[in-house]
Amino acid sequence: MAVMRMGYMHVRVTDLAEAKQHYANTVGLYQTLEQDGRVYYKGWDEWDHHSVVIEEGGVGYVKCGFKCETPEDVADIERKAVAMGYPVARMTAGENPEVGDGIRVTLPSTHEIEFYSSMTAWGLEVGTHNPDAFPRHMVGIGAPRLDHALLWVQDVAEIEKFFMDCTGMWATERVRTSLDDDAHTIATWLTIGESNHDIALLEAPENKIHHFAFEMRGWNDILHAADIFAMDDTPIDIGPTRHGITRGTTIYFFDPAGNRNETFSGGYRCFRDRPVVTWTPDQLGKAIFYHQRELNERFLTVAT
Amino acid sequence: MPKLTVAPQGISVDLREDETILEGLFRHGYAYRIGCRRGGCAICKVDLLEGTVAYNRPVAETVLSAEEQATGTCLTCRAVPETDITIALREENLRRVASLMALYAATRTG
Repeated sequence: MAVMRMGYMHVRVTDLAEAKQHYANTVGLYQTLEQDGRVYYKGWDEWDHHSVVIEEGGVGYVKCGFKCETPEDVADIERKAVAMGYPVARMTAGENPEVGDGIRVTLPSTHEIEFYSSMTAWGLEVGTHNPDAFPRHMVGIGAPRLDHALLWVQDVAEIEKFFMDCTGMWATERVRTSLDDDAHTIATWLTIGESNHDIALLEAPENKIHHFAFEMRGWNDILHAADIFAMDDTPIDIGPTRHGITRGTTIYFFDPAGNRNETFSGGYRCFRDRPVVTWTPDQLGKAIFYHQRELNERFLTVAT
Repeated sequence: MPKLTVAPQGISVDLREDETILEGLFRHGYAYRIGCRRGGCAICKVDLLEGTVAYNRPVAETVLSAEEQATGTCLTCRAVPETDITIALREENLRRVASLMALYAATRTG
Protein backbone atom coordinates (compact mmCIF):
# COMPACT_ATOMS: atom_id res chain seq x y z
CA MET A 1 0.00 0.00 0.00
CA ALA A 2 1.63 3.22 -1.12
CA VAL A 3 -0.49 6.00 0.33
CA MET A 4 -1.78 5.37 3.85
CA ARG A 5 -4.02 8.37 4.51
CA MET A 6 -4.60 12.08 4.11
CA GLY A 7 -1.96 13.39 6.49
CA TYR A 8 -2.63 17.10 6.57
CA MET A 9 -4.88 19.85 5.24
CA HIS A 10 -3.58 23.42 5.01
CA VAL A 11 -6.07 26.28 4.60
CA ARG A 12 -6.10 30.07 4.81
CA VAL A 13 -8.11 31.96 7.41
CA THR A 14 -8.92 35.66 7.54
CA ASP A 15 -8.46 36.07 11.29
CA LEU A 16 -5.92 33.84 12.99
CA ALA A 17 -7.12 34.52 16.55
CA GLU A 18 -10.71 33.53 15.73
CA ALA A 19 -9.57 30.51 13.75
CA LYS A 20 -7.42 29.35 16.67
CA GLN A 21 -10.44 29.62 18.95
CA HIS A 22 -12.40 27.45 16.51
CA TYR A 23 -9.86 24.72 15.82
CA ALA A 24 -8.59 24.47 19.41
CA ASN A 25 -11.66 25.13 21.54
CA THR A 26 -14.57 24.11 19.31
CA VAL A 27 -13.05 21.34 17.19
CA GLY A 28 -10.82 20.36 20.10
CA LEU A 29 -7.54 19.90 18.25
CA TYR A 30 -4.19 20.10 20.02
CA GLN A 31 -1.87 22.93 18.96
CA THR A 32 1.63 21.59 18.33
CA LEU A 33 3.36 24.60 16.75
CA GLU A 34 2.85 28.26 15.90
CA GLN A 35 5.43 29.69 13.52
CA ASP A 36 5.56 32.28 10.70
CA GLY A 37 1.85 33.10 10.88
CA ARG A 38 0.85 29.44 10.72
CA VAL A 39 -0.63 27.27 13.44
CA TYR A 40 -0.31 23.49 13.43
CA TYR A 41 -2.77 21.07 15.05
CA LYS A 42 -3.35 17.39 15.60
CA GLY A 43 -6.34 15.41 16.84
CA TRP A 44 -6.14 13.31 20.02
CA ASP A 45 -6.11 10.02 18.14
CA GLU A 46 -3.34 11.07 15.77
CA TRP A 47 0.34 10.42 16.43
CA ASP A 48 2.09 12.56 13.82
CA HIS A 49 3.03 16.17 14.55
CA HIS A 50 0.11 17.78 12.73
CA SER A 51 -2.90 17.16 10.54
CA VAL A 52 -4.33 20.66 10.17
CA VAL A 53 -2.43 23.85 9.29
CA ILE A 54 -4.05 27.28 9.30
CA GLU A 55 -2.42 30.35 7.82
CA GLU A 56 -3.55 33.95 8.23
CA GLY A 57 -4.52 35.88 5.11
CA GLY A 58 -7.37 35.09 2.75
CA VAL A 59 -9.54 32.01 2.82
CA GLY A 60 -9.54 28.56 1.25
CA TYR A 61 -7.26 25.80 0.08
CA VAL A 62 -3.47 26.01 0.27
CA LYS A 63 -2.54 22.34 -0.09
CA CYS A 64 -2.94 18.92 1.44
CA GLY A 65 -0.54 16.08 2.08
CA PHE A 66 -0.85 12.32 1.84
CA LYS A 67 1.39 10.14 3.97
CA CYS A 68 3.01 7.16 2.27
CA GLU A 69 4.41 4.13 4.04
CA THR A 70 7.99 4.37 2.73
CA PRO A 71 10.24 6.75 0.73
CA GLU A 72 10.09 4.17 -2.07
CA ASP A 73 6.34 4.65 -2.22
CA VAL A 74 6.83 8.41 -2.67
CA ALA A 75 9.41 7.73 -5.40
CA ASP A 76 6.96 5.39 -7.10
CA ILE A 77 4.27 8.07 -7.18
CA GLU A 78 6.86 10.56 -8.48
CA ARG A 79 7.85 8.22 -11.32
CA LYS A 80 4.26 7.64 -12.34
CA ALA A 81 3.28 11.32 -12.10
CA VAL A 82 6.31 12.46 -14.13
CA ALA A 83 5.69 9.77 -16.75
CA MET A 84 2.11 10.97 -17.10
CA GLY A 85 3.21 14.59 -17.46
CA TYR A 86 2.05 16.11 -14.19
CA PRO A 87 4.23 18.96 -12.84
CA VAL A 88 6.14 17.44 -9.91
CA ALA A 89 8.54 19.25 -7.56
CA ARG A 90 10.76 17.75 -4.88
CA MET A 91 10.31 19.10 -1.37
CA THR A 92 13.01 18.78 1.24
CA ALA A 93 12.71 17.94 4.91
CA GLY A 94 11.79 21.00 6.91
CA GLU A 95 10.16 22.85 4.02
CA ASN A 96 7.00 22.01 5.88
CA PRO A 97 7.94 22.07 9.58
CA GLU A 98 8.38 18.55 10.99
CA VAL A 99 7.68 16.93 7.59
CA GLY A 100 10.34 14.89 5.80
CA ASP A 101 11.37 14.75 2.15
CA GLY A 102 8.62 14.37 -0.40
CA ILE A 103 7.10 15.58 -3.63
CA ARG A 104 4.55 18.19 -4.58
CA VAL A 105 2.26 17.55 -7.53
CA THR A 106 0.30 20.38 -9.11
CA LEU A 107 -2.89 18.95 -10.52
CA PRO A 108 -4.54 20.31 -13.68
CA SER A 109 -7.11 21.77 -11.26
CA THR A 110 -4.22 23.87 -9.75
CA HIS A 111 -4.57 22.03 -6.42
CA GLU A 112 -1.19 21.24 -4.90
CA ILE A 113 -0.95 17.77 -3.36
CA GLU A 114 2.09 16.66 -1.37
CA PHE A 115 3.31 13.13 -0.71
CA TYR A 116 5.74 12.32 2.09
CA SER A 117 6.64 9.36 4.24
CA SER A 118 7.85 10.80 7.53
CA MET A 119 6.68 13.38 10.02
CA THR A 120 7.96 14.04 13.52
CA ALA A 121 6.18 11.73 15.94
CA TRP A 122 4.12 13.44 18.63
CA GLY A 123 2.22 10.52 20.08
CA LEU A 124 -1.37 9.62 20.79
CA GLU A 125 -2.96 11.69 23.55
CA VAL A 126 -3.96 8.43 25.27
CA GLY A 127 -0.50 6.94 24.79
CA THR A 128 0.22 3.39 23.70
CA HIS A 129 0.81 1.68 27.06
CA ASN A 130 -2.45 0.37 28.51
CA PRO A 131 -4.31 3.33 27.01
CA ASP A 132 -7.69 4.63 28.07
CA ALA A 133 -10.51 4.89 25.55
CA PHE A 134 -10.29 8.65 25.12
CA PRO A 135 -8.57 11.63 26.78
CA ARG A 136 -10.19 12.40 30.14
CA HIS A 137 -10.53 16.12 29.44
CA MET A 138 -11.46 16.54 25.80
CA VAL A 139 -12.16 20.05 24.60
CA GLY A 140 -15.10 21.06 22.37
CA ILE A 141 -16.22 18.29 20.06
CA GLY A 142 -12.97 16.39 20.66
CA ALA A 143 -12.32 15.53 17.01
CA PRO A 144 -10.06 12.46 17.00
CA ARG A 145 -8.54 12.74 13.54
CA LEU A 146 -8.54 14.28 10.08
CA ASP A 147 -10.43 12.01 7.69
CA HIS A 148 -10.86 13.31 4.14
CA ALA A 149 -11.52 16.29 1.91
CA LEU A 150 -13.83 17.09 -0.98
CA LEU A 151 -12.29 19.25 -3.68
CA TRP A 152 -14.13 21.28 -6.30
CA VAL A 153 -12.57 20.55 -9.69
CA GLN A 154 -13.59 21.48 -13.20
CA ASP A 155 -12.87 18.03 -14.65
CA VAL A 156 -13.58 15.17 -12.25
CA ALA A 157 -12.48 12.38 -14.60
CA GLU A 158 -9.11 14.06 -15.18
CA ILE A 159 -8.32 14.42 -11.47
CA GLU A 160 -9.73 11.00 -10.62
CA LYS A 161 -7.31 9.54 -13.18
CA PHE A 162 -4.35 11.07 -11.34
CA PHE A 163 -5.33 9.58 -8.00
CA MET A 164 -6.17 6.16 -9.46
CA ASP A 165 -3.20 5.83 -11.80
CA CYS A 166 -0.48 7.47 -9.70
CA THR A 167 -1.47 6.73 -6.10
CA GLY A 168 -3.38 3.47 -6.34
CA MET A 169 -6.66 4.86 -5.02
CA TRP A 170 -9.93 3.40 -6.23
CA ALA A 171 -13.49 4.67 -6.44
CA THR A 172 -16.10 3.46 -3.97
CA GLU A 173 -19.00 5.62 -5.19
CA ARG A 174 -19.69 7.97 -8.08
CA VAL A 175 -22.40 10.33 -9.23
CA ARG A 176 -22.86 9.93 -12.97
CA THR A 177 -25.20 11.52 -15.48
CA SER A 178 -26.80 8.12 -16.15
CA LEU A 179 -26.25 4.40 -15.64
CA ASP A 180 -24.90 4.08 -19.19
CA ASP A 181 -21.27 3.10 -19.67
CA ASP A 182 -20.45 6.36 -21.43
CA ALA A 183 -22.06 8.55 -18.74
CA HIS A 184 -20.25 11.64 -17.52
CA THR A 185 -18.82 11.52 -13.97
CA ILE A 186 -20.05 14.42 -11.84
CA ALA A 187 -18.47 13.36 -8.57
CA THR A 188 -16.30 10.55 -7.24
CA TRP A 189 -15.28 9.15 -3.83
CA LEU A 190 -11.78 7.69 -3.77
CA THR A 191 -10.20 5.51 -1.10
CA ILE A 192 -6.79 4.08 -0.38
CA GLY A 193 -7.68 1.87 2.55
CA GLU A 194 -10.91 0.47 3.89
CA SER A 195 -12.69 3.76 4.55
CA ASN A 196 -15.20 5.15 2.08
CA HIS A 197 -13.06 8.03 0.99
CA ASP A 198 -9.72 9.67 1.55
CA ILE A 199 -10.49 12.28 -1.07
CA ALA A 200 -13.60 13.11 -3.08
CA LEU A 201 -14.00 15.26 -6.17
CA LEU A 202 -17.03 17.26 -7.28
CA GLU A 203 -17.49 18.95 -10.67
CA ALA A 204 -17.72 22.70 -10.20
CA PRO A 205 -17.07 25.94 -12.10
CA GLU A 206 -13.97 26.72 -10.03
CA ASN A 207 -11.10 24.77 -8.47
CA LYS A 208 -11.56 25.17 -4.71
CA ILE A 209 -12.12 23.20 -1.54
CA HIS A 210 -15.66 22.22 -0.61
CA HIS A 211 -14.81 20.84 2.85
CA PHE A 212 -12.40 18.83 4.93
CA ALA A 213 -13.65 16.36 7.49
CA PHE A 214 -12.83 14.94 10.88
CA GLU A 215 -13.73 11.36 11.72
CA MET A 216 -15.84 11.11 14.88
CA ARG A 217 -16.43 8.04 17.05
CA GLY A 218 -20.07 7.58 16.14
CA TRP A 219 -23.52 9.12 15.98
CA ASN A 220 -23.51 10.06 19.68
CA ASP A 221 -20.45 12.21 19.14
CA ILE A 222 -22.00 13.78 16.03
CA LEU A 223 -25.03 14.85 18.06
CA HIS A 224 -22.79 16.11 20.86
CA ALA A 225 -20.78 18.08 18.30
CA ALA A 226 -23.96 19.79 17.09
CA ASP A 227 -24.69 20.83 20.68
CA ILE A 228 -21.20 22.33 20.99
CA PHE A 229 -21.70 24.21 17.71
CA ALA A 230 -24.88 25.73 19.12
CA MET A 231 -23.04 26.80 22.27
CA ASP A 232 -20.16 28.30 20.30
CA ASP A 233 -22.37 29.95 17.63
CA THR A 234 -20.62 27.92 14.94
CA PRO A 235 -22.65 28.16 11.72
CA ILE A 236 -24.06 24.75 10.73
CA ASP A 237 -24.60 24.19 7.02
CA ILE A 238 -26.65 21.03 7.54
CA GLY A 239 -27.05 18.20 10.03
CA PRO A 240 -26.82 16.16 12.07
CA THR A 241 -27.99 13.82 9.32
CA ARG A 242 -26.88 10.91 7.17
CA HIS A 243 -25.40 10.77 3.69
CA GLY A 244 -26.86 8.32 1.19
CA ILE A 245 -23.40 8.31 -0.37
CA THR A 246 -21.08 6.39 2.00
CA ARG A 247 -23.95 5.97 4.56
CA GLY A 248 -21.90 8.16 6.87
CA THR A 249 -23.43 10.41 9.52
CA THR A 250 -22.49 14.05 9.30
CA ILE A 251 -22.63 17.70 10.19
CA TYR A 252 -21.29 20.35 7.84
CA PHE A 253 -20.21 23.52 9.60
CA PHE A 254 -18.04 26.54 8.90
CA ASP A 255 -14.87 27.84 10.50
CA PRO A 256 -14.65 31.60 11.29
CA ALA A 257 -13.21 32.32 7.84
CA GLY A 258 -15.99 30.43 6.04
CA ASN A 259 -14.06 27.25 5.22
CA ARG A 260 -16.46 24.31 5.43
CA ASN A 261 -15.59 21.57 7.92
CA GLU A 262 -17.38 18.26 8.45
CA THR A 263 -17.77 15.79 11.27
CA PHE A 264 -18.09 12.35 9.69
CA SER A 265 -18.74 8.95 11.20
CA GLY A 266 -19.73 5.57 9.92
CA GLY A 267 -19.75 4.41 6.36
CA TYR A 268 -18.82 0.86 5.50
CA ARG A 269 -15.59 -1.06 4.92
CA CYS A 270 -14.34 -0.98 1.38
CA PHE A 271 -12.22 -3.48 -0.47
CA ARG A 272 -10.80 -3.29 -3.98
CA ASP A 273 -13.22 -5.89 -5.29
CA ARG A 274 -16.31 -4.16 -3.84
CA PRO A 275 -18.67 -3.08 -6.63
CA VAL A 276 -18.70 0.67 -7.21
CA VAL A 277 -21.93 2.39 -6.16
CA THR A 278 -23.47 4.72 -8.76
CA TRP A 279 -25.91 7.54 -8.03
CA THR A 280 -27.84 9.39 -10.71
CA PRO A 281 -28.62 13.12 -10.65
CA ASP A 282 -32.37 12.59 -10.11
CA GLN A 283 -31.49 11.03 -6.73
CA LEU A 284 -28.79 13.55 -5.80
CA GLY A 285 -30.81 14.99 -2.91
CA LYS A 286 -31.13 11.58 -1.26
CA ALA A 287 -27.55 10.72 -2.17
CA ILE A 288 -26.16 13.67 -0.28
CA PHE A 289 -28.74 14.23 2.48
CA TYR A 290 -30.44 10.87 3.00
CA HIS A 291 -33.23 12.09 5.31
CA GLN A 292 -34.15 15.49 3.83
CA ARG A 293 -33.79 14.06 0.30
CA GLU A 294 -33.21 17.51 -1.11
CA LEU A 295 -30.19 19.73 -1.41
CA ASN A 296 -30.05 22.97 0.49
CA GLU A 297 -29.25 26.10 -1.46
CA ARG A 298 -25.68 26.17 -0.17
CA PHE A 299 -24.33 22.69 -0.72
CA LEU A 300 -23.49 22.90 -4.40
CA THR A 301 -22.74 26.63 -4.51
CA VAL A 302 -20.57 27.39 -1.48
CA ALA A 303 -16.86 26.63 -1.40
CA THR A 304 -13.63 28.39 -0.52
CA MET B 1 -29.49 53.06 14.78
CA PRO B 2 -29.21 52.60 11.02
CA LYS B 3 -32.30 51.85 8.97
CA LEU B 4 -31.90 49.17 6.32
CA THR B 5 -34.10 49.31 3.24
CA VAL B 6 -34.29 46.53 0.68
CA ALA B 7 -35.17 47.60 -2.85
CA PRO B 8 -37.24 47.25 -4.90
CA GLN B 9 -39.93 46.20 -2.41
CA GLY B 10 -38.96 48.96 -0.02
CA ILE B 11 -38.95 46.64 3.00
CA SER B 12 -37.16 48.36 5.85
CA VAL B 13 -35.91 47.19 9.23
CA ASP B 14 -34.08 48.91 12.07
CA LEU B 15 -30.66 47.48 12.81
CA ARG B 16 -28.96 47.31 16.18
CA GLU B 17 -25.60 48.86 16.82
CA ASP B 18 -22.80 46.73 15.28
CA GLU B 19 -25.35 44.40 13.67
CA THR B 20 -24.55 43.06 10.20
CA ILE B 21 -27.06 43.33 7.38
CA LEU B 22 -27.52 39.55 7.45
CA GLU B 23 -28.09 39.41 11.20
CA GLY B 24 -30.60 42.25 11.06
CA LEU B 25 -32.67 40.75 8.26
CA PHE B 26 -32.75 37.27 9.79
CA ARG B 27 -33.65 38.76 13.20
CA HIS B 28 -36.69 40.29 11.54
CA GLY B 29 -37.77 36.93 10.09
CA TYR B 30 -36.46 37.46 6.56
CA ALA B 31 -34.27 35.09 4.59
CA TYR B 32 -32.30 35.08 1.38
CA ARG B 33 -29.58 32.91 -0.07
CA ILE B 34 -26.60 32.84 2.29
CA GLY B 35 -23.67 30.47 2.70
CA CYS B 36 -21.01 30.29 5.35
CA ARG B 37 -22.09 33.43 7.27
CA ARG B 38 -18.39 34.04 7.98
CA GLY B 39 -17.20 36.05 4.99
CA GLY B 40 -15.62 33.18 3.09
CA CYS B 41 -17.96 32.09 0.32
CA ALA B 42 -19.19 35.35 -1.26
CA ILE B 43 -22.70 34.00 -1.81
CA CYS B 44 -24.48 36.72 0.21
CA LYS B 45 -23.25 39.65 -1.89
CA VAL B 46 -25.78 42.37 -2.72
CA ASP B 47 -25.76 45.76 -4.43
CA LEU B 48 -25.32 48.69 -2.07
CA LEU B 49 -27.47 51.45 -3.58
CA GLU B 50 -27.28 54.12 -0.87
CA GLY B 51 -25.27 54.65 2.29
CA THR B 52 -21.98 53.27 3.54
CA VAL B 53 -20.90 50.14 5.40
CA ALA B 54 -17.86 49.05 7.41
CA TYR B 55 -16.55 45.49 7.70
CA ASN B 56 -16.35 43.97 11.17
CA ARG B 57 -13.65 41.47 10.16
CA PRO B 58 -10.89 41.28 7.57
CA VAL B 59 -12.43 40.19 4.25
CA ALA B 60 -10.34 38.22 1.76
CA GLU B 61 -9.61 40.03 -1.51
CA THR B 62 -10.63 36.83 -3.33
CA VAL B 63 -14.07 37.11 -1.74
CA LEU B 64 -14.66 40.85 -2.11
CA SER B 65 -12.16 42.84 -4.16
CA ALA B 66 -11.35 46.50 -3.59
CA GLU B 67 -12.86 47.25 -6.99
CA GLU B 68 -16.11 45.53 -6.03
CA GLN B 69 -16.22 47.49 -2.78
CA ALA B 70 -15.66 50.72 -4.68
CA THR B 71 -18.42 49.95 -7.17
CA GLY B 72 -21.16 49.11 -4.70
CA THR B 73 -20.86 45.40 -3.96
CA CYS B 74 -21.50 44.56 -0.34
CA LEU B 75 -20.87 41.30 1.56
CA THR B 76 -23.86 41.19 3.88
CA CYS B 77 -22.61 38.72 6.50
CA ARG B 78 -19.74 41.02 7.44
CA ALA B 79 -21.06 44.47 6.50
CA VAL B 80 -22.21 46.75 9.32
CA PRO B 81 -24.02 49.89 8.06
CA GLU B 82 -22.48 53.21 9.10
CA THR B 83 -25.49 55.17 7.85
CA ASP B 84 -29.02 54.38 6.75
CA ILE B 85 -28.54 52.15 3.72
CA THR B 86 -30.47 50.75 0.77
CA ILE B 87 -29.53 47.42 -0.79
CA ALA B 88 -30.87 45.32 -3.66
CA LEU B 89 -30.59 41.52 -3.73
CA ARG B 90 -29.17 39.88 -6.82
CA GLU B 91 -31.38 37.51 -8.86
CA GLU B 92 -33.69 36.75 -5.96
CA ASN B 93 -36.28 38.24 -3.64
CA LEU B 94 -36.21 38.68 0.09
CA ARG B 95 -38.41 36.00 1.66
CA ARG B 96 -40.34 36.41 4.92
CA VAL B 97 -39.96 33.01 6.56
CA ALA B 98 -40.80 33.82 10.19
CA SER B 99 -43.56 36.38 10.59
CA LEU B 100 -43.52 35.94 14.37
CA MET B 101 -39.94 37.20 14.53
CA ALA B 102 -40.88 40.24 12.48
CA LEU B 103 -43.69 40.96 14.93
CA TYR B 104 -41.45 40.91 17.97
CA ALA B 105 -38.18 42.18 16.47
CA ALA B 106 -39.07 45.75 17.29
CA THR B 107 -40.13 45.03 20.87
CA ARG B 108 -36.78 43.78 22.15
CA THR B 109 -33.68 45.72 21.34
CA GLY B 110 -30.18 45.79 22.73
